[in-house]
Amino acid sequence: MNRLIAGGCRLLEALLALGLALMVLLVFGNVVLRYAFDSGITVSEELSRWLFVWLTFLGAVVAIHERGHLGSDMLVSRLGPLGRKGCLLLSHLAMLYVTWLLWSGAVTQVGINLDVVAPVTGTSMAVFYASGAVFALLGGLLLLHGLWRLLSGRMADEELIAVQESEDLAQVQDLHLGQPAKV
Amino acid sequence: MTVFIFLGSLLGAMALGIPIAYSLLVSGVALMWHLDMFDAQILAQNVINGADSFPLLAVPFFMLAGEIMNVGGLSSRIVKLALTLVGHKRGGLGFVAILAACMLAALSGSAVADTAALAALLLPMMVRAGHDKAKSGGLIASAGIIAPVIPPSIGFVIFGVAANVSISKLFLAGIVPGILMGASIAIAWYFVAKRENIQPPPKASFKEQLAALRESLWALGLPVIVIVGLKMGVFTPTEAAVVAAVYALLVSMLIYREMSVRQLYEVFVSAAKTTAVIMFLVAAAMVSAWLITVADIPSQMIQLLEPFMGNQTLLLIAIMLLVMAVGTAMDMTPTILILTPVLMPVVKQAGIDPVYFGVLFIINNAIGLITPPVGTVLNVVAGVGRMKMDEVTRGVLPFMAAQFIVMFLMVLFPSLVLVPARWLAN
Amino acid sequence: QVEDRTIRIGTTVPADHPISLGAKKFTEIVAAKSAGKLKVKDYPALALGPELQQQSALIGGVQEMFVPSSATLAGIVREFTLLDLPYLIRNPAQADALMDGPFGQALLAKLPEKGLVGLAMWENGLRHITNSRHPIQKLEDVQGLKIRVQQNPIFIDMFKALKANPVPMSFGEVYGALETKALDAQENPLLVARSAKLYEVQKYASLTGHAYGVIIVLVSKKLWDKLSADERKLLQASALEARDYQRQVSREQARKAMEELKAAGMVINEVAPAELDRMRQAVQPVADRALQTFDPALVRLLRSELERVSHIG
Ligand code: NA
Ligand code: NA
Repeated sequence: MNRLIAGGCRLLEALLALGLALMVLLVFGNVVLRYAFDSGITVSEELSRWLFVWLTFLGAVVAIHERGHLGSDMLVSRLGPLGRKGCLLLSHLAMLYVTWLLWSGAVTQVGINLDVVAPVTGTSMAVFYASGAVFALLGGLLLLHGLWRLLSGRMADEELIAVQESEDLAQVQDLHLGQPAKV
Repeated sequence: MTVFIFLGSLLGAMALGIPIAYSLLVSGVALMWHLDMFDAQILAQNVINGADSFPLLAVPFFMLAGEIMNVGGLSSRIVKLALTLVGHKRGGLGFVAILAACMLAALSGSAVADTAALAALLLPMMVRAGHDKAKSGGLIASAGIIAPVIPPSIGFVIFGVAANVSISKLFLAGIVPGILMGASIAIAWYFVAKRENIQPPPKASFKEQLAALRESLWALGLPVIVIVGLKMGVFTPTEAAVVAAVYALLVSMLIYREMSVRQLYEVFVSAAKTTAVIMFLVAAAMVSAWLITVADIPSQMIQLLEPFMGNQTLLLIAIMLLVMAVGTAMDMTPTILILTPVLMPVVKQAGIDPVYFGVLFIINNAIGLITPPVGTVLNVVAGVGRMKMDEVTRGVLPFMAAQFIVMFLMVLFPSLVLVPARWLAN
Repeated sequence: QVEDRTIRIGTTVPADHPISLGAKKFTEIVAAKSAGKLKVKDYPALALGPELQQQSALIGGVQEMFVPSSATLAGIVREFTLLDLPYLIRNPAQADALMDGPFGQALLAKLPEKGLVGLAMWENGLRHITNSRHPIQKLEDVQGLKIRVQQNPIFIDMFKALKANPVPMSFGEVYGALETKALDAQENPLLVARSAKLYEVQKYASLTGHAYGVIIVLVSKKLWDKLSADERKLLQASALEARDYQRQVSREQARKAMEELKAAGMVINEVAPAELDRMRQAVQPVADRALQTFDPALVRLLRSELERVSHIG
């Protein structure tokens, strides 16, 4: 199970990198075309915005797995293991509840927008709203998995805090901490 | 009443250890109940549409540019240039850190990335030269937070979108205040270094200076492109961001040749993930922002602040104190997202220039990154420098105080911000 | 009978724009007619979210009313793009007759099956070209102008047919592009040229009137189905009463904008009727091509209606 999740997240990461690269190409391409050749990629803006929305929600799934979402552990870090478990249980239940709401709302939106087309590309707006449904589904499954591990006692003590204080701390650790100073 | 339901449910959820983005959704649910308009569609619509913004595309692009510059060797060349320029002065390495921070700030939009680069490169040198480690770490932390004030700035992008204020104008208005922040810590460092009385490294020869300048010329070209592009109206901020990313990519792959394809992939993944965390927060904040609008909380706030409304300075001081208090415990992005929809109508009603307010607000949020107990940039210095948190906290105090003094000077004398902003915008 | 209800009505423009003024007037009329039982609250300037979100919110029943441009609806009922056709009408009086007649009704009748109810057609007004090069006095003056247009195929084709160089761009970027001369021209109601301070970067405004902006007053069908006959009648009548006020304010402000642009140093010129006819002929193929893709019965109705209103004014 854990290997499946880890593998899925690597796949999502590859999609994220690809999506970001496409966004760079579209927006940069448009700049070059506009200033150098007086023309442009008509679909550039809409397409890059939609990629951005999908990137946000797929990346947010990976962040659930990696405990990368921003939060504060000021109170929780002062509690003992039992208190932390209680808080984690409550927070998983609350997160599952809003995820459920997000799912049901997003599915309604997909239904409403099935035959509504986007202004430029003419794609169904349902594709846009499906990003939220996919996020709720994958994120909800990850949260359920976490809940099951917590309740069956499989969660290690150091996993009991589910947040990170700053958005790019993990990234800094990935990229710079091991690097020797070169001046 | 409504405002207390919003804040109470938000803080309660955060205390349980729920991520802020989800806490915002929880408080959105609480608000929907309170306003008797419960509907899952409100949640879904605002979250999904909240992530849909062309101006916010600047966030991943600037993020990418900053990462590439650190990995691709642009940052280290900037630090080296600063070293040859001011390293020989008394307490020189401290001035090197400040000068390098101001130059790096013009290249990247994130305080964390800049601080990490500065701490990794300069902290060991400062300690080896005999400077006190706590003071050196504190100085680097306070220098690192100039990054979101001097453009490009992810903080300005998010504030500009949340408050509907021109991002280009915010960028141009941030330049001089950012330099003033650097000047304030330079003065503080002058007195600190005087007491330490440490022999500075020898002066670099003119030839060495010229060599360092030539090496870093490509890196220095980037802020020129961004600022000139914005000022001339050639680029929108999003376009400037993508140009910066592509430029940094080309310089590090083709000219400096310090980045491998493998590293390039990692940089893209890491920029995308960081962006997703920020944007998910932005999206979640739209739910409560929408409900705040519908419930007319801004007009309640205006009533609450009625006694201050006649006096812009007094009102600003009150708001700045509030932001300082929130900033002790919260990171920059969530503070911007949570406070902007509540404060902005008040600011507009009082007739305060939104660009001027944005600059003060972002400076305050930036200083929040080095105020205890939760100071992200303090964490970075502690992590990179292998120091204890309270050591860095102790070291940062004089510099933090200097920056707060500058901020309140800008509150008392708005022309410190407005005059250069007007001059740069024309 | 009339129940106590709260209705939120969203607009896409600032509070002082004629469309938002119309919405404000609507709230007052409804309050008066219902003796305060129906409370309509207006939310200008996209406070309730971007256009497509508000449209979706109406269909889902989360929001009660919305007053978008007809172009917003094109993604859901394609026939609304017919209102974007070049030179559809020559003056506001013709527009009123067309929108309030059988063709306007036929368009609104397509909304309920999509979960929306259209109460009335307000206006954004006639669109004119401003540019930094020369006054447009004849067809040839449009040639070669780099002109910003909306992301709308009909507008792109229209300006290609006029041999201009249309550049689709979001409005937020237009001022800067005009300032740096990356663009020569833009087209909008004159009110926009005033409020966006385009007179600082554009010298000439020419009254080409090449298109007419229509605004649709929408109600959520989910709400509509819950309303009593009295309540429906009340909202319908109020939307029409507000329409007459809105059109009047819109036209007054267009006149005032023209005076202010002149005072700000812009050179404003009328285009001779014969030259307008030449422009109309030049873009006729665009309209004909577009018309071929619609239901022939609707196209026949449009043609006969255009014939009917063509003598007005
Ligand atoms: Na910066
Ligand atoms: Na802090």
